[in-house]
This record gives sequence, structure tokens and C-alpha cells, in this order.
Amino acid sequence: MIKVRSDEPKYAYLWDKETKDKNRYGQNIELTEEGDERRNKSLNINGDDGIGDNPNRNKQHGFFLNADNCIGCHACESACSEKNDNPAHIAFRSVGFVEGGSYPDYQRLNISMACNHCDDPVCLKGCPTRAYTKFTEYGAVLQDPDICFGCGYCTWVCPYNAPQLDPVKGEVSKCNMCVDRLEVGLKPSCVSACLGNALDFGVVENIPENRDQAITEIPGFPTTDITHPNIRFQQKKQNHHEMTRTDSMPLKYVKDEAEGKYKATVDKKSGLEKHWNFRSLLTSHESAHVIFTLFTQATVGAFLMLILGESLDLLGFKVLNDYTIHMSLVATIFILSTIGLFKLNMHLGKPHRFYRGFNNLRLSPVSREIAGVSMFYTGLLGYAFFALFDNAFMGFFATIFAYLAVISGPIGLYFMYKLYRIPARPFWDHCQTGTAFLGSMLSLGSFIIAAVSLVVLPASALIELIPTLASIMAIGLTIEIVGHLVHARDMQRINNEGTASHYRQTTQYGKSYLLRNALLCLSLVLAVTISSTGLSGMLGMITAIILALSLMIASAFSRSLFFVLVIPTTMPGAFFWKNDGFVDHARETGLADAPQHGVVYERHHAFKLDELIQTIKENSLQDMLEHVQWIFGKK
Amino acid sequence: MLFGRNKKNPITIADKKIEKWSYSTCGYCSTGCSIEIGTNKEGTPVSSRGVGGADVNQGKLCLKGIYEHELFESAGRGSTPLIRSDFHEPWNEASWDDATGKMASEIKRIQSKYGRDAFAIVSTGQILTEGFYTLGKLARGVIGTNNYDGNTTLCMASAVSGYKRSFGSDGPPGCYEDFEHTDCLIAWGSNLPEQHPIIYWRMKEAQEKRNFPLIVVDPRVTMLAQNADMHLTITPGTDVVLQNSLMHVILAEGLEDQDYIKANTNGFEDLKKEVEKYDPTSAAKICGIDEDTIRTVARLYANAGAAMNIWTMGINQSTHGSDGVVGLNNLSLLTGNIGKKGGTSLSITGQCNAMGTREWSSCSGLPGYRALENPEHREEIGKFWNVDPEFFPKKRGMAQTDIFPAIETGAIKGVWLVGTNPMTSMPNTARIRKSLEKLECLIVQDSYQDVETTDYAHIFLPAALWAEKEGCFTNTERRVNIVRKIKEPYADTKTDLHIFNEVAKHFDQSKKMTFPYKPADVFDEMRHLSKGQLVDISGMTYDLIEKNRGIQWPYTEEQAKQGIAPVKGGKRLYTEDGVFCYPDGKAKLIPLPFVDNNEVPDEKYPFWLNSGRLVEHFHTRTRTGKIGNNNKFSPTAFMEMNPDAAMELGITHQSYVRLVSRRSDAVVMVMLTQRVPRNMVFVPFHFFDCVNRLTLGLLDPHSRQPAFKQAAVRIEKINQEEAAKINKEARKF
Repeated sequence: MIKVRSDEPKYAYLWDKETKDKNRYGQNIELTEEGDERRNKSLNINGDDGIGDNPNRNKQHGFFLNADNCIGCHACESACSEKNDNPAHIAFRSVGFVEGGSYPDYQRLNISMACNHCDDPVCLKGCPTRAYTKFTEYGAVLQDPDICFGCGYCTWVCPYNAPQLDPVKGEVSKCNMCVDRLEVGLKPSCVSACLGNALDFGVVENIPENRDQAITEIPGFPTTDITHPNIRFQQKKQNHHEMTRTDSMPLKYVKDEAEGKYKATVDKKSGLEKHWNFRSLLTSHESAHVIFTLFTQATVGAFLMLILGESLDLLGFKVLNDYTIHMSLVATIFILSTIGLFKLNMHLGKPHRFYRGFNNLRLSPVSREIAGVSMFYTGLLGYAFFALFDNAFMGFFATIFAYLAVISGPIGLYFMYKLYRIPARPFWDHCQTGTAFLGSMLSLGSFIIAAVSLVVLPASALIELIPTLASIMAIGLTIEIVGHLVHARDMQRINNEGTASHYRQTTQYGKSYLLRNALLCLSLVLAVTISSTGLSGMLGMITAIILALSLMIASAFSRSLFFVLVIPTTMPGAFFWKNDGFVDHARETGLADAPQHGVVYERHHAFKLDELIQTIKENSLQDMLEHVQWIFGKK
Repeated sequence: MLFGRNKKNPITIADKKIEKWSYSTCGYCSTGCSIEIGTNKEGTPVSSRGVGGADVNQGKLCLKGIYEHELFESAGRGSTPLIRSDFHEPWNEASWDDATGKMASEIKRIQSKYGRDAFAIVSTGQILTEGFYTLGKLARGVIGTNNYDGNTTLCMASAVSGYKRSFGSDGPPGCYEDFEHTDCLIAWGSNLPEQHPIIYWRMKEAQEKRNFPLIVVDPRVTMLAQNADMHLTITPGTDVVLQNSLMHVILAEGLEDQDYIKANTNGFEDLKKEVEKYDPTSAAKICGIDEDTIRTVARLYANAGAAMNIWTMGINQSTHGSDGVVGLNNLSLLTGNIGKKGGTSLSITGQCNAMGTREWSSCSGLPGYRALENPEHREEIGKFWNVDPEFFPKKRGMAQTDIFPAIETGAIKGVWLVGTNPMTSMPNTARIRKSLEKLECLIVQDSYQDVETTDYAHIFLPAALWAEKEGCFTNTERRVNIVRKIKEPYADTKTDLHIFNEVAKHFDQSKKMTFPYKPADVFDEMRHLSKGQLVDISGMTYDLIEKNRGIQWPYTEEQAKQGIAPVKGGKRLYTEDGVFCYPDGKAKLIPLPFVDNNEVPDEKYPFWLNSGRLVEHFHTRTRTGKIGNNNKFSPTAFMEMNPDAAMELGITHQSYVRLVSRRSDAVVMVMLTQRVPRNMVFVPFHFFDCVNRLTLGLLDPHSRQPAFKQAAVRIEKINQEEAAKINKEARKF
């Protein structure tokens, strides 16, 4: 237990005398029943087995922000960073602001935000490694960096930007509610440090002394529907009709006078001019995801066609049974799939902890995606090996592995799609994610088969196959194009962060977007042409080459746009701090060379083989079995 | 666990393994927060926290204090004395004896060749009082130059001058506790949340208990202005007009406190005659505040049971700075709001020990608010120091802002800078650069070798910083608080006190005098000299100060002997009738005619240039610029600009522009916000090669403080890549 100093001021102590039974979402505030075995257990903070004497220990707590009082002095953020020993580029709590009105009738509304220790923590559900725990003690959602492998998925799903992915350490960390202070009856550090009398903390739904409001909506704060956050606000001063952000996000908040609520809407900050923006498009940190998703979709598609083509009576697929072409295709699929998985694994903050990706099969779509794709890869690997031998015994195993891959591949792709349906990322949370993935699977899958076939076999052997593949490609492209059309229409209509993404799509990346659209259409036209006329002569080959280039460029652009354009429902930033625009600027101009600017460069992290070997050495087979049982839910 | 892991892993929370908390006083602003520094087993400072039982900050710290323990290891510290014959040459490392010896011989050479006053000393508001006192002894009693001043000329000189003119002495009469009692608070050019966040918190606490009206006078919509009951968006440099007009309404409507005026003041009739000219209708046209508002504020202020004025640089940094302070004092005196609970005229000071230098450094006089102009004072100090009183000048010499022009004219050939960085802090950088280049000898004494001024130095003396030393600071409310030594001085650095003593050794005059090395011995001298003075600290000892978390002066030896414990807070000056520091015990009401001599916007330079502070930075960023968790909130220079004005010029948010004034130009990043009016831009003053390249800095006739906040600029577009490069190169830290 930490030591409470003798002169600790009164404001630092928790104050809840009475508490309510249920919170506004209908959840019990008391998190465990009387006599529950989870009560009166030590939190084991830093190995200390003491148990706090806080009478409200098992009740859901939360922060309270009187936003009218926040002066943006950064004391809360600094007290937090000082206590948690965070470097300048990481903060568990940040203050941003929105502003409205005209001089001198001007208003800045500061918002101090950390983790809201939600009733329904999407970070916990999303984390593939199960690094998160929601404790019955205080309802704190805590994350263990020692388990995390640095994929950053929790930072995608959280609507409040609470988990922080450290590009230097390659791991996530976040607000720990200062449970060490709560155990001894003290408020969290940030609250005790507040100089505006704005920030407070207590059992949720309790309103602090001298405050009389507890709302969950203020301009700039995302909807509470996603996670049921445990934060309450007081904000009684009349805000201006329109509140803008100073950071680079093309978003502002406009009051819907009928509903009385503020809604996020596009702020066309950077005008309407169209740009290419190649550099940020093609060199983004997410390029690993671009490669992984495209390669995996392509290889799953190609493998499915290869294995199932004939039995589905697809015209011309019979030629693929020929050993040379068959094994050439299997080898190509295997290589491409390996590249995809390699890129995915190496983008992790701690790539040597890859095996932890399965830990959260029960809740996380990421775990399921990883499991599905890994099984597909295993099937592919097994098939590639056994199919080398042309005999019935080996053929039996080959078939088993083939079906493993055929079943698990689509499962993997399904969860790949599911994991991007993130409510906090409206640009992704749309069926277009599915159409794009399915479309790529078909178009790129058939492309792989066509390309390898054209290299290995003479054109005369492919008279039937090529039009069939072109038709599948055309279907894939049609699905993708229709998806994009629906997406573009919906994004313009929904009037939220998705609309802002679309605004960027048509301006900052406007030229790249148009090129992508044109190439997709061109690809479709060429695919349809080939499907009806086949490939013949020089003209045919030129058409094929143009189609190949057009399809590959369109796919790369399309997927890069998908990743680079997403705008999460995060809190507004400030002018420098938590401003993506400044972060980019500091990296481009080299201001980020000085660590005290609070900006670091993205970087790759080494695969630490020694750490992996050590883990293997330290854990017995029994431990590993227990771990597997634990994954599948054994208590 | 509700979800997630079945097996509880132990929770890991950062543990800095603090073994000991040591008491000290924060070394940034003049709020004077009591701070505790946590050290680990190795004695390394690893944490900071506010002292819970301290009256000033009651456990709170602002973000600078929260990270103050990181200062000890911050980048850019000087580690050993350096010497060179010319500032183009590379540095040579030197021993302390060689460096101080060289320095003394240069001082002697310059003084014998050009006269005693050709060597000037400019100090700071940030070293310990014991250091200030000793530097004063050295400057006045040994070196004997009359051109000795502190950089407090840039911040508090107008307050000092205004207090002296009104009350007969410097010394802010109020205290933080006044917030608890006031019925009306007017903040003049003071943005507490940004500049003095802990004082803001004290104000806010008081306001939440008892909601008194807050009126803010500021051209910018600061957080304080936004939260105020009334915001008066004044035209820059016209505070005196507003003050005169408020007094006009008070007197015209008979709202003044005649009994108080009779008992405590002189000059009422003259003042009345002058303010008669400032009827609200005419005044409104000059100061930009409508006449109804002027009347409302005047009535609210005068009718309040207790009303207080606080101010900071908005008043001080003006050609009417001293007058502005006198104007506020006039308002307080007319309404009887001095020396009473909640009724005061309180300057909110800038540097941690601006008060210490005002009291004890002898910059503008002799120790303990004594005056050079007073023969008894010269006699008294001469005797105490064993210096011939005739050695002292009979009149105060040049202020900092006159010393630099005197370098231009050749009157001054050598300068010793102590803990100050004029290359960033003084107006018109180009002029300062030229002046420094002309010096035959420039000595820079600082904790940081990378202060920009060092580029022009011939001798660099690396000083220990803040809590590598022991001694006292005095805060805004006259509270003497103690800085305890947390850590040994870095590398071969020495405390300021030690350096002054070493320099003194090289002069024969010092042999007749005493220069104690122990801070407590120096403090004893100060205690002795304070007896019977306004600034009476004779009852204080280091241990008593620490025990009480700082003691407000006066606290006398008699009180201590009688066992009267120092009060926790709430000590005021001039609490009885007729006790002001003029010989007749009365304060002066001084008429303030207004002359408009500001550089105002015109067609060529259409924008007002305003400058000011950011909460995350202190002064020229030599400290905060190196602490990532402070610096990151504004790591590079920027400018607040009105979006409507920007649209007319085609300037966009977060792009760079070139600001041009009649002095030079500066590159800044644009932050569009309606916080500033259409014809004004605001640039923080912390950054090197930035706003002070543009400022004019006309001097106040009384205080010699520069008008940093009134200049005219135009805004030009600039190639963005080029601008980014210029900006980056200027940001060495």
C-alpha cells in the first residue's frame, strides 16, 4: 500500500458517502454480490499483497469533468505522466479543446480525457492477447504491457483514444485509474492535481459537492452507445452553435437545435482542391496491413478456386490439375501468403510474441482472424508438401490439408472483415469493407491463377480457363465497385467522422481516389472484354498486361486509401499536442529529432528470438497445455 | 474481474522507489509554491509534489513544478568555466580561480580606462536572496559601478516604481487570502490560468465558496476573460484612460471613501482636477470600452465592501506601466481598498525571486528597500559593510534597458550578465545583438551554457541551479520561503553566492569586508539590516521558515522572542491609518495625464502585436524547453491570429508566415482563433529569434520598463519549406 502523507489535503480524498444501485445504463454499480469470492483479494500492485480498506472498493468508479471549469492548464496530464513515468510522446490523459463564436464573444471548451473504464470495454474485447482485464475492484479496466504484443487494435476500437501505442517500446499502455491511490482512499493523481476545480472522481453517478449536473454529452465527446463509458460531465454554460477543432481533423460539432445535441460534421479545413498525396498514401504505418489483407485475400481466393474450381464445374479449370501448373500455383500462393503473414507479424511492436495472438479467441475478432488465417496457412503448407507426392496415401493427407485451408481461409477472411467493423471508425464500419475484401478475394485470386497459368502454360491450353477467370475477376470488381459507390453515397449522408474521411478522400487524396476509381472501371471493362473475347494475339496480351497493371495499382491504392483515410471518433486535440497534422509536420521537417517535441518517428521492431526462446524454456509443456485450455475458457 | 483473464496478474504501476522527500520552494514563478522533491536510494531526484500543508499552494503544483525534478539532469547545462579572447574564438576550459581572476582583471582594466561605471552588471529575478544580497554588496561596495540592475526591469519595474510613487516604498500590500474576502476583483492584463495557475486555483476556490464578480481587462479572450463576469477588451496601451475614467465616475457620483482619503492620502484635489477630463463618453473613444460599461464597473468596484485590483504584464509592460500601477493604487486609495481584507492593489509578480531582488539586491538602491539618494541609508550600509559611504553613488544609475543603449553609445564597455538571457528576452533582438557584439568583455553567468547570449560572451561561469543551492525566495505576497539543497551542484558548477565571493576575492576592497560563504550567515546579515524596516525579516530563521512553509514579512525579532508564531497567511501592509512610507505617513494620489506614444497599427503595419506567456513555458525556455513533458504543449513558436483576418490575406491554419515590423521579421506558425481581434496577433514571448525581433520596447519614463505589448506588424506569406527550415534552426531547444 502506498503511504498517505500526514498533510495530505482534504481535496485529495475520495468523498462518496452514499452510492446509487444502478448506473444510467442499467448496470449494477456494485460489481460483485456480497460474499463473492473475488472480494477481499489483493490487487497485488507491484507484488504488494495488501488489501485496500476503501469501503467502495467493489463499486464502479468514474471521472467527473466540469468542462465549464477546465482552463487547459495541463496539470492533470502532467501529474499523470509524472506518476506513471511516461515519456513526452505518451500520455494517458490529454486535454484538447473545441472553440466557438467570434471575438470577443469567443469560447474555448477544454476537455480533459483519459480512460473511461467503460462498462463494455471494447478494448478488452478486441485485444487478441487478452492483455486487458476489467477488475471488480473499482471497475477499473487495466492493461498489462507485459502481455501486449503491440498490434494496436485496442487503439483502433476505443472511441476515446485511451490506450496509447508507444512506437518506441512497441507496446500499449493506458490509464490505470491510479488504483494504488484508490486503495488508500485517495483520488487519482490527475484529479488531485486539477487547478480549475474541473476534474473529479468517485463512484459513478455520484455528483461531487457543489456540482449538480451529470451528463454524458458535450461537444466533441463521442457517443456513449459504443462502450457505456464511466465519465460524467457538468457543462452548463451555453455553447456556441458551432464548435470547431484546432487540430487537423476535418471535423466540427454543430448543434442540432431540435435535439439539443452536438453532432460531428465535416469541416472543410483544407479547401476543395484535389491532391495526389502519394507519400502519405503509400508509406503509411498501415502499409503492412495493406499488404497483409490484399495478399491474404488474394491467396485464399486463388486457393479456393484452385481446389474447388473443378468440382464447381468452372469452365477450363481442369487444366489446373496438371502437376506442373498445379504445383506452380500452390508454390506461388504459398509464397504470397508467407509474405502477407510476415508483413503482418513484423509490423507488431513485439513480433516475437506472435503466439499470443490466439489468446482471446473467445472475444476478439483479431484472434479469430489470426486463427483462421494461420489454419489456412497450415493447410496450405501441408497441402503443398503432401501434394508433391503423387500417390494415394499422400494424396489423402493432401486432401485433408486442402480442406483445412478451404474451410479456415474463408473463416479467417470473415473475421478479417469483422474486425474492421469498428463503431468508433465509421469509415470502416460499413458493408463496403466486406465488398472490398470479397471483391479482392475474387479479382486478385483469379488474377494469380491467370498470371501463373499464362507463364507456365501456352495460351492455347487456356482458351477456356482465361475467360472464366476474367468473369470471376469481373464479378469481384463489380462487387468492389458497387460497394464503393454505396459507401461514397452513405459516407456523404451519415454526417459523422465517416463523412470527414470521405471529404479527405475527395480532396487531400482526391486525385489518387479518382485514379483508383478510373482504374477499377478500366479493369472491369478489360475483364469483361477478355471474358467475352478471350485472349488472342498481341492485342490480347497487351490487354492482359494493361489489366494486370491496372488491377494491381487499383488494389494497392484502394486498400491504402482504406487505411489512411479512416478518422476515428476520438476526442479533439490541441494545436500541437494530439494534433495529427503537427505530428506529420514534425516528422517531415525533422522537428521530431528532438525528443522534447513530444513526437517520435514510427519504427520497426526487431523479432527478439532470444526472448522467444527464453519463454519456451521457462514454460513447461504442462504450462503450455494449461495456456491452451485457458484460451478455450477453462477457469 | 468482470471479463478477461481468469488468473490475476499482479498489477504493475510505475514505482520510482522514492526513499526521501525533501522540502524546497519552486524556482519558476513568484507564486512561491512549497514543493517536495523525492529522491531514490541513489539520491537522484525522481519526483516532485506540492507540500500539502503549505498555505500558498496546499499540495498543488502547476505542470512546471510537477516536472521540476527533471531540471537537475536537463540538457545544455554548463559544466566548467570557459574563457576566450574574442567571441569568434573557440572556448577554453578554465579553473574557477583563473576565470574569476580574468574577470576581475577585465573589470579593473575597463574601469580604469573608461571609468567605474563603464562596467555594468545585469542580474535576474531568479537566484536566491542570499546571492542577490551578496551580489549587491559586491556591485555597490567593491566593484562600485552604478550601472547595476536586474532583468526585473523587463517585468516588475513598473510595479516597483508605481508602489514607490504611491506609497513611498515598494512592497505589495495584499496577499492571496484577499480572494477569500473580496467583493469585487478586477484583473488588469493578468491571465492567471496561464501565468500563475496556482494563484488562479486560490482565486477559484474562493470564488466557488463565495461568488464575487470578476472583471478582466485584456484585449485577448484569455481563459480568465472567458470565465469572467465582465470582459473589457481594452485598446492596447490605454489602461490609464480607463482608470481615469473609472475615477471620474467614482468622484462624479460621490462613491469615494472621503474618510479614508483624508486620513491616508495627499493630492486628492490635483487628482480630481485631472480625472474631470476623462468623462466616460470621451474616454470610451480612446480606450475602446463603452461608456455604460465604464460606469457599471466604476459603481460595482466602488460600492463593493472590499474590492481588489490585481495586475501583471498587461499593465507593467507599457510606456504607461508605472502610471498604470499608480492608477490602480489611486483607485484603491480613493475607495479605501488598501490594507483591508479583500481590498488591495496586488501586483502578481513574475520570477520566483523578483521580490527578493527588489528587497535585497541593491539594484535600485541599497538593501532592505533603502535608497542611494538617502544619506542616512548610505551611512548605515557603509558602516555595516565597512565601505566608505562616499564610495556609493548618490543617485541610482542606469536601468537594464538603459544599459544596452549605453553600450551602443560607447559609455559601457563591459557587462556581467547573471541568470538572464537578453538575446531572447529583450525587445528588438537586432539591437541587442549589435550591442553585445560591441562589448570588450561580456561575462555570462548561468546554469545553462546554451543560453543564446553565451554566443557573444568572453567568459562563461556555470552556475548551480535552483535546489543545488540553499537560500530564500520571496513571493508575490511577501512570503519568504526556503529552497533546501536537494542535490550537489552539477559537474564543476558553483552556487551564485560562491561565485560572487570568489570574484570579490580578487579585489583589495573586499579584504576589509566580510563575504560569508554559508547562506545562513548571509541571511543573518539581512535579518540584521531588516530590523525596523518595512521588510522586517528579523524574526525568521531557515528552520522556522521551513516549519511554517514560508513566512510573510514583516515578522520581527520581537515577535519571535515573545513567542508569537508567524501567521499562516493573510498578512497585509498598511492596515492602519497613516502608516504609508512617505515621511508624513500618507500615500500620494497622483494625477495621470495620458499621452499616446504607442506605435499603433497603420496601413503599412496593420496589426497590433501582442505578446505573452504560456503556462507550459518559463521565460526564455532555457529550462522548460528541455523538459519534454512541458515543452510538448508548444514545442515551437506560433501566433494566434483571427480567422477572418487570415481569410482576407489567404493565410491558412497551421502554416508558417513571416511577421514584419519596423525592426525586423520573424517566422511563426499560424494558429487561427477568434480569441484575438481582427487587427491583432498574439505571439508567445518564450521563443528565441521570434517575437522580440519585432518588438519596439519604448521605455516607461518612470520604471524604464519596455512596452513589449504595443507594436505594429504586417503579415506576409512565406515559402513553407523555407519557413519550416528557419523555424527548426531557431529551435536548438
